[in-house]
Amino acid sequence: MKLARKYNRVNLVTSLIILVLSGAVYYFAIHYILTNKLDNDLKIEEEEIVASALKYDKLPLPSDFKDQKVTYSELKPGDSTERYFANTVYNNPDEKETEPGRSLVTTIRAGGKDYSVTITKSSLEAEDLIRLIFLITLGVIIVLLVTLAVINRFVLSNLWRPFYETLKQLKAFNLADKNDFTLQHTQIDEFLELDQSVISMSRRVRQDYKELKSFTDNASHEMMTPLAVINSKLDTLIQTEALSDRQGELIEDVYLAVNRLTRLNQSLLLLAKIENNLIKDEENVILDTLITQKLRQFNELLAASNIHLIQKMEPQRLYMSKYLADIMLNNLISNAIRHNKPNGEIKVLLHSGKLSVVNTGVEKALNSQRAFERFYKDASSEGTGLGLAITSQICNLYNFKLDYHYQGEQHEFSITF
Amino acid sequence: MKILLIEDEEALRDSIITYFTEEGNICETAEDYTSALTKINLYNYDCVVLDLTLPDGDGMEILRNLKNLHKNDGVLIISARHSLDDKLSGLNLGADDYLVKPFHLSELKARVTAIVRRKSFDGNNLIVFREISIDGLAMKTMVNQNTVNLTKKEYDLLIYFIANQNKVITKSALAEHLWGDEIDLSDHFDFIYTHIKNLRKKLVEAGCGDYIKSMYGVGYKFGA
Repeated sequence: MKLARKYNRVNLVTSLIILVLSGAVYYFAIHYILTNKLDNDLKIEEEEIVASALKYDKLPLPSDFKDQKVTYSELKPGDSTERYFANTVYNNPDEKETEPGRSLVTTIRAGGKDYSVTITKSSLEAEDLIRLIFLITLGVIIVLLVTLAVINRFVLSNLWRPFYETLKQLKAFNLADKNDFTLQHTQIDEFLELDQSVISMSRRVRQDYKELKSFTDNASHEMMTPLAVINSKLDTLIQTEALSDRQGELIEDVYLAVNRLTRLNQSLLLLAKIENNLIKDEENVILDTLITQKLRQFNELLAASNIHLIQKMEPQRLYMSKYLADIMLNNLISNAIRHNKPNGEIKVLLHSGKLSVVNTGVEKALNSQRAFERFYKDASSEGTGLGLAITSQICNLYNFKLDYHYQGEQHEFSITF
Repeated sequence: MKILLIEDEEALRDSIITYFTEEGNICETAEDYTSALTKINLYNYDCVVLDLTLPDGDGMEILRNLKNLHKNDGVLIISARHSLDDKLSGLNLGADDYLVKPFHLSELKARVTAIVRRKSFDGNNLIVFREISIDGLAMKTMVNQNTVNLTKKEYDLLIYFIANQNKVITKSALAEHLWGDEIDLSDHFDFIYTHIKNLRKKLVEAGCGDYIKSMYGVGYKFGA
C-alpha cells in the first residue's frame, strides 16, 4: 500500500469517527437544552394555572394558545398524584396534524376537588431546529472529507514527487553506467537530505567498483608480461641440445600450466571488459552462417571422439559484437565436445529465435543454479571454469536468456534471443 | 634480415634476440620510446617488432612516426592488451600484424618472416628450403620440381617449420598456429601428430629428405 493511500485512509477514518461522535454529542446536547427550555415554559404555565386556581378557587378555562393545550380531568381517589414530564403528541388544531409534543402532568386542588392538569406544548420547532443542525453538521462532515481527500490526493502526491523521482533513479541505477543522479528541486529538507545521501552513496559505490574493476584489469595485464617471459624462456630452454626425455616431459607440463594460466587470465580480462561494456563493435551477425563455420572448425575434434553431429538451422540474424558471438559459440560447442562421451552425440538446433546445443555426457545433471557461476566446474574438467560465466555475461549484455536443462540423459544449453 | 625489437622487458628481449640472431639475422634492440625513435629515424629495418606499452611513451606514437617518415619497414605489434580497439587502430595505422602476449617465439618468428617475405618479394614470392620450394602466391609446393598436394593445414605447417628451421617447436605452439587460440586444444594434441605424420609421408614420398624430427615430450624440430 502506498504511503499516501495509507495516510489517507487513516486520516479519513479518524476524521469520520470524530465527526460522527461530535455530531452525536451535539445532537444530544441541543436536544437536552431545547427540552429543558420547553419544560421551563410548561412550568411557567403550571404556575399561572396554580396561581389562578388559588385566587378564584376554580380552574381557569382550558384555553388553547398557539402551540399549547391545557386539559383537566377530575381525579378519582387512589389515582396517582405524581407530577411528571412526558413526550407526547400534540394535535395541531390549525393544521389538523399531530406533531411531536411535550406535556407536564400535575395535580391542582380547586373547589374542593383534585384535578389532573395536562399542559401540552408542541415541540415541532425544537425538532425542526435539531434536524437543521443535524443536516448542517452532516454537510460540514461531507465537505471536510472531500476537502481532505482532494488535499491528500493532489498536495501529497505533489509533495512526494521528489521522493518518487529519486526512487525511479535508484531503480534505474546501474554500476556500469556513466549517468549520475540528478538532484531534485525540492524545498523539503528530508528529501534534500535523502537525495544528497543517495548521490554521495552512489559516488562512493562507483568509486569502489571502479577500483575493483581496474584492479582485475591491471592485475591480469601485469600478469601477461611475466607469463610472456616464462613462455619465451621455455621456448629458449627447449632449444638446448641435450634434453632428456624426462626433462622433456617436465617441460611439457610447465607449458600446459602456463597455457592454462594464460587462458584463465584472458578469460578474466574478457569478463571485466564485457562487464564494463567495453566491447562496442556491434554489427549484424548472421548466426546460422557463423555456427556452420564454427562447426567446421571443430570438425576434427568431433571426428576424433567419434561424436555424431546433428544440425538443424533456420536463418537468424543478431545485432551484436561478432567477436562476442564467436566466443559464445566457441564456449557452447567446445563444452559440448569436451564434456561428451566417446561415440556420443551433439545436436545444434537453431529455430524460432532459440539456439540449443544438446549433448550426451555424464549421466547426471549439472547444478543449474551454479553452472553459470565463475569457477564452477566439476573435478574432471580441464577448463578454466569461466566459459559458461562468460557466455552468461554475454547473454546478459544483449538481454538473451541462457538456460540449462537435463533431460533424457542429455544436457541442453539454450539461448533465447 | 634486419630487425628492430622495441621492448622494455629485459628478460623477454633477451629471449627474442637469442631466438632470432642464431641464424645470422641482424637484431637490434631499443628498450624505451626515446631510443626507439632515434633508431627508426637513423636506420632502415626489414621489420620492427613493437611493444605498445613502453615506460616513457605510447608505442602507437612510434608507429605514427614511422609512417610519417614514409619508411617501408614492416611492423609487428606485440602487446599485452588483448583489445580489439588496439588491434584495429594498430592495423589502421599501418602495422602489418598484431600478436598478443604471451606468445611462442616460434609464432613470432613465423609472423616476422611472413612480413619480411611479403615486404621484399620481387615478383616471385618463393620460399626455398633445400629441395623444397613453395610458391607463396599460388600456394604450390614442389619437391625437386614435382608438385606435392598438401592440405591447407599441412601447407601452413610446412611454412611454419621452414620459418623456424632448426628450432624445437612445441605442440601447443603448432596447435595455436593451426587452429587459432580460440579453441583450447591442450588435451587434444593428437591432431597435430596426425597432420605432421601426413605431411612427412607426402614429402618423403615425393623424394624429399626426412627433415621433421620428433622431440619426446616437447615437440618437433625441422632441419637438415
